[in-house]
Amino acid sequence: MNSPPDQISADVIRNVLDDGRLVVCVGPGGVGKTTTAAALGLRAAMAGRRAIVLTIDPARRLANSLGLQSLTNDPQQIDLATAATGEEATRYLTSTSPPGEHGDEDQDDADGKAEGSQQQDGELWAMMLDSEQTFDDLIDQYAPDKGALESARENNIYRLLSSALYGMQEYMALDKLHDLYTGGYFDLVVLDTPPTKNALEFLETPSRAATFFDERIIKWFLPDHSAGFFSRVFNPGSVVLKLVSKVLGESFVEDLVEFFDTFHYLQEALQQRGEMIEFILRDRQTHFFVITSADPRRMKEAYFFHEKLGALEQKADIFIINRVIPMFAAHDLAQLEDEDLDGMLEEHGLEDPDQARSIRKHLETHYARLAKLALRDRKAISSLATRVGDESIRLVPLLGEDVHNLSHLLKLSDFLTPLKD
Amino acid sequence: MLEQLLDKRLIFVTGKGGVGKSTVTAGLAHALARSKRRTLVLETDTFSAMEDLFDYSSPGLEPISINEYLYASNLSSEECFIATLRRFVPSERIARAIIKNRIARVFFRAAPSVNEVTILDQVRVFFEKTDDDGEPFYDHILVDLPASGHAVTFLNVPATMHGMMRGIGPIATMSGQVAELISDPATTAIIAVCLPEEMPVNETIELADNIDETLGRPLDLAIANMVHQAPLDAKNRPLFEEIHQQIREDYPGVESLFFDEEDERAESTAIARLIEGNALALGWADRDREYLELLYDRLSAPIVEVPIVYESSGTDVVDKLSRIFIGDSSDAASLTA
Ligand SMILES: Nc1ncnc2c1ncn2[C@@H]1O[C@H](COP(=O)(O)OP(=O)(O)OP(=O)(O)O)[C@@H](O)[C@H]1O
Ligand SMILES: Nc1ncnc2c1ncn2[C@@H]1O[C@H](COP(=O)(O)OP(=O)(O)OP(=O)(O)O)[C@@H](O)[C@H]1O
Ligand SMILES: [Mg+2]
Ligand SMILES: [Mg+2]
Repeated sequence: MNSPPDQISADVIRNVLDDGRLVVCVGPGGVGKTTTAAALGLRAAMAGRRAIVLTIDPARRLANSLGLQSLTNDPQQIDLATAATGEEATRYLTSTSPPGEHGDEDQDDADGKAEGSQQQDGELWAMMLDSEQTFDDLIDQYAPDKGALESARENNIYRLLSSALYGMQEYMALDKLHDLYTGGYFDLVVLDTPPTKNALEFLETPSRAATFFDERIIKWFLPDHSAGFFSRVFNPGSVVLKLVSKVLGESFVEDLVEFFDTFHYLQEALQQRGEMIEFILRDRQTHFFVITSADPRRMKEAYFFHEKLGALEQKADIFIINRVIPMFAAHDLAQLEDEDLDGMLEEHGLEDPDQARSIRKHLETHYARLAKLALRDRKAISSLATRVGDESIRLVPLLGEDVHNLSHLLKLSDFLTPLKD
Repeated sequence: MLEQLLDKRLIFVTGKGGVGKSTVTAGLAHALARSKRRTLVLETDTFSAMEDLFDYSSPGLEPISINEYLYASNLSSEECFIATLRRFVPSERIARAIIKNRIARVFFRAAPSVNEVTILDQVRVFFEKTDDDGEPFYDHILVDLPASGHAVTFLNVPATMHGMMRGIGPIATMSGQVAELISDPATTAIIAVCLPEEMPVNETIELADNIDETLGRPLDLAIANMVHQAPLDAKNRPLFEEIHQQIREDYPGVESLFFDEEDERAESTAIARLIEGNALALGWADRDREYLELLYDRLSAPIVEVPIVYESSGTDVVDKLSRIFIGDSSDAASLTA
C-alpha cells in the first residue's frame, strides 16, 4: 500500500473533492458511473462539503438507500450519521428545497461558503433526474403561452423527438446542472452521466438539439409571410424542402412545418443554455473522472473520452478502473502445502481423506481460474498505464456484493480516496 | 440451444451496456456458421466489437466474408443514410443534390429517427438478398443492437414512421415493410442478454413487457450471461463456512489482502488467500442465483444461462461460447436452460 503512484492518485481525487465545484463522471455503459458518483459525493460530504449528486437512472436499491424513492427533480438530503456508523439509512430528511437554491445571485456569497467549508458540517444531497419529464419542462419554461405543451403533445414530430432523440435526457441533465451550479447553495456538484456509446455524445447534445432548430432549417419550414413570390421561389430552402417532401412524403412535411411554427422559440433557449453549460464545463474548477472497467474494449472507449475532452480544453483528471478482479495470483497456489488445508478440514471434522482431497482440488481449480481473470485485468490496466501514467489510475475492486446501501458506498469511497484522519 | 433459433432468419440481440451482447452475438454467429448456416453479423457501433473478435477491418457497408459461412458488416448511419436515399429518391440527380446540400444533411443528421430507419432499411436489404437460384443468400442475420434502454423505441421506429407518414410516400412504404418484418415472430427473433444483477434483470423483465405491448410480439429468449459458478457443491458449504470463519480469526485483515496492490505476499498467507478468494467467489455465485431466481420468477420467455468462461482474450471467449452453444463443450461449465 501507499506506493507513490497510488498515493498520488488518491490525492488527485481528494483534492478535487476538497476544492472542485463540479465533478463529471463519464464512461462506457454499466461500469459503475452512478455508483461511483454516489460514493464520491458521500466522501466529499464526509470531508465537510455540501455536495449534491445528480444521478441518472440509478439501480432501484441504490436509489432507495439514497432516499430517492421516486423520480423527482427535487434534491433530497441524506442522513450522514447513518453512513458513518455503517448502518442503513432508514431515515432521511424531507424533500424541502435547500435554502437559497433559487435566486441566490450573490456569487461572492457562494465563494465565501466554500472558503469556510472546514468549519461547516458536510451535507449529502441527491437528486434523480426524471428524463421523460424534462423535455416537457423545457417547453413549459420557454413557451410563450400556456397552451404550448398541449399542442406539443399532439404533434407527431414532438412525440418522435422527445422519445427518440436519445440525447435529450443527457441534455436535460446538463440543464439541471446549470440550475444547481449557479444556485449557490452547493459547494460541489457530482454529475453522473447516462451510458453513451459515442464519447461525450451527451455534451454534444445541446448542439445536436440546437442543430435541429438551426435557423436555416427552420426557415424552410416556416411560411415566410413577408417575402414576395420571387424570393420564395429563389429561396434555396424551398428547393431543399421540395427534395425533403419527395423522400419523406407531404404529410410528414406538413407536420414539420407545424412543429417548427410552434417551437422555433426553443432554438434560442437551447442555444443560450448550451453556451452557458459549455462555459461551466470549461471552467478550471470543473473536473472529469473517467470511469471504466478493466475490459480492453471499454478501456479503449475510456481513453477516447479522455481525448475528446481536449475539445473543451479539459482532460480526464483520473481514470477510475472499477470492478477490478482482486489480486488472486497463481503463485499463491505454488506456495500452498497440501497438508495445510487437509489438516484444517480434518480439524473441522472431515475424516475421509478422499473427500478432503476433492474439496482442495475444487478450491484450487477455482482459485486458478480467478487468478486468470485477475491477470487479464492487470494486463489491461498496465497497458492503459503506459499511455496515461500510473498516477492517473485508481483501482476499485469488485466487491463481493452489489453496492446498494450507504455502508457499501462508504467502502467504495475508501478505495477511491481514504479519509485523512 | 441453437435449435430454437434455426428457423429464425433475423435475430436482434439487445441488452444493457457491457452485459456481453457483442460476445454472445459473435458466439451465436460462430456457432451457426459452424453448423454450416450462412450467417451475417451486423453491428452499428463506433467501437466495432466484431472487428476485434473476428479480426478483420470493415471496408464499408458491403459485408466482408470471415470464413465460408460467416460474414460481418458494421453499419455506419452515415453510409446507411446515403444508401437509403439512393434507393428511394426517384432520381440519382436529386439524391446527389440532397447528399451534397449542407443544410439538408444537417437536417437529416439531427432529425429524430432518421438513423434508425435507414439502418433498419439496410438490414432489410441484406435480408432480401438472394443467390443465383433466388434463394435467400443469408440463412441468418444477427443484429447486435446499440446498447441502450431504447431497444424497443429503436425497433418500433419503422412502425411509428409508417403511421406518421400515413402510409404515403416511398419511405412510408419501406417503413411499413420493415415494421412487418420486425413484428413477425415466425422469421424474426428478439433476444435479450443480461447479467444476473439487479438492474439488468429488472430491465429485462420490463423489456419483455414492453416488447409485447409495443411490438405486439413476444421476447423469444433471455440469455443470462457471465453466471458465476460456485467453487463447491452445496453439501460442502457448511464445512467451508467453518473454515472461512477460522481463517478470519487466524489471519486478521485477510479481507484486504486481495485489494492490496503491493505484491509482497507472505508464504504463510497462501492458505488464507485460497479460502478468502473462494469465499468471494461463493458470494458472487450466491448473488447471481438470487437475481436468476427473480428472472425465472418474473419472465415468461425461456431463459438460458451462460457461464462466465475463464479465457484470456475476447476471441477465446467467443470461441468457447460458440462451442457451448453447439453443445460441444467438454468443460464442466456449460449452459443450463
Ligand atoms: N466495485 C463494485 N463492486 C461490486 N459491484 C459494483 C461495484 N461498482 C458497481 N457495482 C455494481 O455494478 C452495477 C452497475 O453499476 P452502475 O449502475 O453504477 O453502473 P453505470 O455505469 O451507472 O451503468 P449505466 O451505464 O447503465 O448507467 C450495480 O449493480 C452496482 O451495484
Ligand atoms: N460468458 C462470458 N464469460 C467471460 N467473459 C465474457 C462473457 N461474455 C462476455 N464476456 C466479456 O465481457 C466483456 C464485455 O462483453 P461485450 O463487449 O460483448 O459486451 P457488450 O454488451 O457488447 O458491451 P457494449 O455495450 O459496450 O457493446 C468482454 O470483455 C467480454 O470478453
Ligand atoms: Mg448509471
Ligand atoms: Mg457491444
